[in-house]
Amino acid sequence: MNRKTFLTGALALLATGVAYPALGQSIPATVDQPVTISYYNYNLASAGNGAEATKRLIAKFEAANPNIKVKGVGASSADITSRIQADVAAGRIPDVVQMVFSDLEFTVDNLGAAALEQIVPETELKAHFEGISPNGLQLGVLNGKTYGLAYTFSTPVLFYNADLFKAAGLDPDNPPKTWAEVKAAGLAITKKTKAEGIATGIFGPSAGDWLFQGVLRSNNGSLMSPDRKTLAFAEPASVEAVAMLRDLYDSGAYTNLDITAAMEAMASGNVGMYLQTSAIQGFLVKGSQGKFDLRASTMPRFGDKPQRPNNSGSALVILSRDPLKRRAAWELMKFMTSKEAYTVITSEIGYLPLRADIVEDPKYLGNWVKEHPLIQPNLEQLRMLERWESFPGPNYRQIQKTMMEGAEMAVFGGTDPAAAMQAAQKSAQAMMPK
Amino acid sequence: MSEAALSTHGGTVRRRRMDNWRVTPWLYLAPAVLTLAIWIYWPLIDASRLSFYEWNMLPTTPQTYVGWQNYINIFALPKFWQALWNTGIYIIGLLPIAVLIPLAIAIYTHDLPARARNFYRAIIFVPMIIAPVVAAAVWRWLLDPGHGMVNEAITLFGFRPVRFLQDPKIAIWTIIVITGWKLIGFSTLILSAANANINPSLVEAARMDGASKWEIVRDIRLPLLRSTVLFLVLMTILLGAQWSFAYIHVLTGGGPLGATTNIFYILWDFGFSSLSVGWSSAAAVILFLGFGVVAFVLFRLMDRYSFHDN
Amino acid sequence: MTIDAAAFAPSIPAISIARPTKRGATGLNKSVGHLVMAVLAIFCLFPVYWMIVTSLRPANEVFDTSLWPTAASLDNYVYALNAIPIIEMLGNTLLVSAVVTVVQLFTGLLAAYAFARWRFPFDKLTYTLIALTWLVPFQVVMIPNYLLVADLGLLDSLAALILPHFAAALAILMLAQAMRSFPREVLEAARMDGAKSWRILWEVIAPNLRGTIASLTILIFISTWNEYFWPLLLSRTPENSVIQIGIQMFMTSEGTQWGPLMAASTMASLPILLLYVGLQRQVIQSFMKSGIR
Repeated sequence: MNRKTFLTGALALLATGVAYPALGQSIPATVDQPVTISYYNYNLASAGNGAEATKRLIAKFEAANPNIKVKGVGASSADITSRIQADVAAGRIPDVVQMVFSDLEFTVDNLGAAALEQIVPETELKAHFEGISPNGLQLGVLNGKTYGLAYTFSTPVLFYNADLFKAAGLDPDNPPKTWAEVKAAGLAITKKTKAEGIATGIFGPSAGDWLFQGVLRSNNGSLMSPDRKTLAFAEPASVEAVAMLRDLYDSGAYTNLDITAAMEAMASGNVGMYLQTSAIQGFLVKGSQGKFDLRASTMPRFGDKPQRPNNSGSALVILSRDPLKRRAAWELMKFMTSKEAYTVITSEIGYLPLRADIVEDPKYLGNWVKEHPLIQPNLEQLRMLERWESFPGPNYRQIQKTMMEGAEMAVFGGTDPAAAMQAAQKSAQAMMPK
Repeated sequence: MSEAALSTHGGTVRRRRMDNWRVTPWLYLAPAVLTLAIWIYWPLIDASRLSFYEWNMLPTTPQTYVGWQNYINIFALPKFWQALWNTGIYIIGLLPIAVLIPLAIAIYTHDLPARARNFYRAIIFVPMIIAPVVAAAVWRWLLDPGHGMVNEAITLFGFRPVRFLQDPKIAIWTIIVITGWKLIGFSTLILSAANANINPSLVEAARMDGASKWEIVRDIRLPLLRSTVLFLVLMTILLGAQWSFAYIHVLTGGGPLGATTNIFYILWDFGFSSLSVGWSSAAAVILFLGFGVVAFVLFRLMDRYSFHDN
Repeated sequence: MTIDAAAFAPSIPAISIARPTKRGATGLNKSVGHLVMAVLAIFCLFPVYWMIVTSLRPANEVFDTSLWPTAASLDNYVYALNAIPIIEMLGNTLLVSAVVTVVQLFTGLLAAYAFARWRFPFDKLTYTLIALTWLVPFQVVMIPNYLLVADLGLLDSLAALILPHFAAALAILMLAQAMRSFPREVLEAARMDGAKSWRILWEVIAPNLRGTIASLTILIFISTWNEYFWPLLLSRTPENSVIQIGIQMFMTSEGTQWGPLMAASTMASLPILLLYVGLQRQVIQSFMKSGIR
């Protein structure tokens, strides 16, 4: 915990704490008795860097807050929402959860997520929000209230293998910016080298729909009508985006690999380009070390339309009901979104720094960013980041799956894009709230 | 428990008989029956009720009655029919590995010396005791398109690496072979044992009559192995989808393009993994009834065609 | 939930090893037979062998494809042991498997005895209902059972892994079948001697079912050891997990750590493999008696 932030926070709290006592929602100013909170985190579910760094952060937090004990609970990112839902249903309400953004709305509507504005004194909140990228902050806002603080989040990055670019007669200093250029580069790579052109993480069982949303939106397509009642992913703009991917695949530039296989193919130099979350950067760097020159660029756009990427990843959300636990949870949340934690999260786990000011600061990420130019496109996209939308209603996950399966059939399965998307939209519309 | 048992001995003959058939057996049955009632039958009954509701398990949200909507949603899933079709492919693909090849091997290796047979037997049985998760991990490693042993060998012979789990045309067969890997040793052993049990004098008599090797197999061995073969066929049809579930779950997640999904997996994917109780309960009822009907038909068939030797 | 078929298996012949027919097998036939079996044996054993070999490679040679490790190293094991509490997980798995085995045998003996000794109203129906439980896939009862465990306050505890396995159709049916073939006269004689039903079960019947009980012990133990989905649903902390959960922690969305994954898989399989090496004949016999698990 950054001591200065803490002090400011504590002082601010002392000053304003008295203003809220009647609300009953406000939390005590400090944690003055021992309390244990649970922290559901998907980095803890796997053995490796993410888990190690997370454990280290928790230990540091506990050392700085002797009254608070944190019980880390791991569940894979695909399972974590249902795990949390199950535990809430079972009456074992988790205190702080790392919630995938596409489930944020569900968390707010059904799991009793606490709006920070309602439980944290205003000045304290303001003090903590200082320095957080406004786009990043906006991701956790729903109905005008902040329910989550972006925690591990990232943007779609086009990784590419500069050695393969050279071998294919392409300029590695001038990576493709549009999908048309991606296609040309991909074809050149498949023709002149033994490698595949491009792989993406758009489709696949654990892919969700975050990358796909970015692709649709970049062609000015959308998921649904602004009133969130009528699905729109079979509208012409969206279909056009899907048709582009289909054409890319049909041309032979785009190879269909599942997530693990694509990652490993990229890491071992068997694919020229790979569009995926920046979170896997660490894995790719490790694989490429001493073998090839790994570089990164921003997500491709459609012609002159600006690309409109959305984030992937997760926010921290407070679910606890008890005021003392809420205070402890808020302290943990503050720590996990502090400059210090973000330095670890960015440099060791591979996500984006939510606080832009630590990027230059040599005390935090300054030197690291200089040594790791791969993070640049990610930082660049942070400025144009849009929201990863989730579908409404109790069937939101099934709607998402239906859409993704339709799109996958259109791109790889040989079904006509318009027909596939319309069929998916029709069956998904039936699952929308009436 | 022991007291109840004691009391059966004490009283008059009449009382003893009453106690015997009224209470005592139920006391012995109680632990098992209670366990199965609580953990299997009650959830099943509850699931049939909940399949008509929309609910996300949370105490704070009400259970909303939606009639047949959950069933309609499931049957309207674009992938449902693909999954059903795939289930058929799984069964058809598994039958040769789980029945035909073992049958041929059992008959063919009948003449091997006992020591060698025991040795092979010990080895081919190993996959059966390996945990499904371990098996999935190891096969993923062997078949990895980049570093996997199998593909290294394939490229050594100058071919392009095969995308065993990524190519929609191949993936389902890969899962079938992995499932078969687990079973082939087992089936072979069962059939060898059945084959060995055939009375040698029958074979001898036929040979005396000048029957050829093939005639002996066709007219004596195969008919006598019929009930064992039928049993294995039945198991494959009923449980094939179950066996492959763990591999689909760990290796492909039903993909690519739903090519490896089966009826079990799709119901899991849309129903259970998202914890929407209505969907998963409807899926549960569909599974249970589907299996029930198939099992019923198969057992009737088996009763009719099974043929008891000895 | 595991699936078994004991109830419906046609009388699968006991595993009497065939006497090789004295003549008939020509040399050529024999060597083709050997070839077929050798190919099958390699197909069955190679993945397991490859798992062990990979786990023993030094960290920087994991992608090596030489058929044996050039320099054996315990790197992967050290890494795996440090990354997750494998020893604790193995201990948990052992504990759960042992308790489930003992309890299932106990409840199975009691229930089977009830069927074998008495005729009572609804006995056939009860027997059928017990047998039918194998038709119920695990997924069907998963969510209600999860909620029940939660209501009992047993989430993230080993007890929750054990409770639903307090009784299983397999044990009951196999023991009931074995008891049915138990000589009536012995039972009658014991009854004449004034032995009570409880004592008859434990002093006369159980000791005589040693073979079946041994088979069941092996079967129940192995299938509980290998169980994955129910623990996956319940486990919250590595310290309260079983080893199968530990294995999948090395297959992550940030890439698979092949070396440690193979090391963890080897450690998870070793106890079962050792059990198999020691009791090979009995293990095979158990599986064949029961049908497929």
